[in-house]
Amino acid sequence: MELFDTATVLTRVLTSGVVMSIEKSDRELPGLERLLTKKTRRSKAVLLNSRTGAIHAALAGQGIGHGDSVALAEPDAETAAFLAWLGVRVTSYDEPAAYDHLALDPSNAHRLGELAAGATAPALVVDLTGLGFGPAAAVLTDDPKLWARAERLKIFGAYDLRTMWTQEEADADLVPGVQFNYRLSPLVAACVRMALTQAAQTQSAQTRPVATSGANQS
Amino acid sequence: MITDFPNSPLPLPNPAELDDELAALGGAEIIPKALRRTLFPVITKEDVFNLMLAQRQAPEKVVADFAEAYRAYVGAGFALPTASGTSSLHMALVGAGVRPGDEVIVPAFTFIATAQAVVAAHAVPVFVDIDPVTYCMDPAAAAAAITERTRALMPVHVHGLPADVPALRALADRHGIALVEDASHAHSAKIGDRVAGSFGDAAGQSLMADKNFPLGGEGGIAFFATEEAYERAVSYLAEHGIDYGMSWVAAAFGNSQLKRLPYYDEIRARNAALLGDALRETGLFTPPHVPDGHVHAYNMYRITLHPEAVGLADLPVHAVKEAVHELLVAEGVPAREWQNTPIPCHLPFQHRDGFGNGYPFSLNPGAVRDHRPEDFPVTLGMLDSTLVLCRELRSPVEYERILRYADAFRKVARRPDAIRKLVQERDYVRPYEKAARLG
Repeated sequence: MELFDTATVLTRVLTSGVVMSIEKSDRELPGLERLLTKKTRRSKAVLLNSRTGAIHAALAGQGIGHGDSVALAEPDAETAAFLAWLGVRVTSYDEPAAYDHLALDPSNAHRLGELAAGATAPALVVDLTGLGFGPAAAVLTDDPKLWARAERLKIFGAYDLRTMWTQEEADADLVPGVQFNYRLSPLVAACVRMALTQAAQTQSAQTRPVATSGANQS
Repeated sequence: MITDFPNSPLPLPNPAELDDELAALGGAEIIPKALRRTLFPVITKEDVFNLMLAQRQAPEKVVADFAEAYRAYVGAGFALPTASGTSSLHMALVGAGVRPGDEVIVPAFTFIATAQAVVAAHAVPVFVDIDPVTYCMDPAAAAAAITERTRALMPVHVHGLPADVPALRALADRHGIALVEDASHAHSAKIGDRVAGSFGDAAGQSLMADKNFPLGGEGGIAFFATEEAYERAVSYLAEHGIDYGMSWVAAAFGNSQLKRLPYYDEIRARNAALLGDALRETGLFTPPHVPDGHVHAYNMYRITLHPEAVGLADLPVHAVKEAVHELLVAEGVPAREWQNTPIPCHLPFQHRDGFGNGYPFSLNPGAVRDHRPEDFPVTLGMLDSTLVLCRELRSPVEYERILRYADAFRKVARRPDAIRKLVQERDYVRPYEKAARLG
């Protein structure tokens, strides 16, 4: 993203005065969620402040926790270490995976839809850190329970981000275990959204046939 | 910019308004609805400009510069910037030497993240009651909870008042265990000349955008007294592949805000003192207690009710509190409960699933308790008899607004008859009998 564009986005959000992730009037986090669900054709998005937070959410969302075994594509050393820290063992590399993983950067951000289309796991972990605004990630899914559990991981008590303001238990049956603050800043979300939008627009401009008068004459 | 000013100026208080009927009973409100909104954090053109400049620097440098500037301000030995307060507490515990299955003593009254950070460190939180005056961890209760598997005491400088660090330090030293501060409410809080975050072997602090010192969204920082502790935390992150990195966007905002933190601290202290003087005159209310030599940061301002002072000693204190709460809110003061039950009684600590299948609680079943609210009588007593103001003392809360808050408390305290009537009409339950609340 051009410096000018980033400056514009940051200024817009700062001028709104809303920089906190749990602010009722925040529009940046829902905006990025909408963009990601639209591009990946998944119904639900969970935004998180790191790739490892997203891996944790993708697994916890499926009720996979300490002492459990999963199938995954062979993880890199860093991910293997993180899975070991979660207490999750990988027992198969060729069965359907618990989650798919893709990392975006400026060179492939325009291919998000295409890359997501090839993913088949119940959860898709998208690492957004490579876009340049700091650690950021998302979990995309069509499973409402996976989504609800993952959201519960990143907020505290028996609430989710919607019900913490009403102070009513969101779902007393959906009992949270360990909870982290994996919440993403609206400022980072706004920059990521701009980067993804621009990547798509740039690609679209490059692939669109140039209409010339000569072409029309043929 | 819309964040620089409130939408409309508040009028200066008028003493005649104190004689009006209570707003809940049809009278005029001390603060009309249209003038109630408080804005936080303050975002200036300098903040915007500093974020623009940060774009031209290496992200790692922006984060490192922020961490070093704030470490120097706090006076801690070493600092590790993180993505959230919870992750900072996790790293503080790890740096202090907490290992899986260890016991960490935490107060039953805090934000739930204190105890969840212990679970994040694969350790077991052991809950103890609080001091009835400061509302921070009771050193005697902590002493009684120490076992051979206790690795750390983790007091919380709750609402911004430093805990009894001398007593807790002595206790920790006597047992050869670590002292880890949860300084998430305590930006710029002090004992003597030392700033919270520099007292213990390690400390964690939230820097989310609703704290006295806000970053651009979410963030935290861990402090360490020694390089060894700092390196232990850094190695842990590498060994386990955990990404707790802070965004440069958040750090740049924090770097800019840090320059104005002392100014905001002074405004908050002025507002707290002004309100405290007004509350003491009422009889019904008292402001937070601040021990000699302590500087309270007033991230929150917990007000204690004394029904006996206005002839309401025969009523349950929790019912008086609920009635007063209703009357204050009607006058335009956004008073809150902020917690209504001890933390060990929240669902995550009742069910103790942790990371799944009961881990890490399963590592040390002997440390686990099935707590009931009654196990923490001092906490329950405090929850019964106190109300909280949060953003209401923070800059940019203007002088006129804090004067009006003071008048609202005066107006309500003058009407024990209305309080009694409400208590008789309503069916107020004790705070912990409602769904467990955090805010």
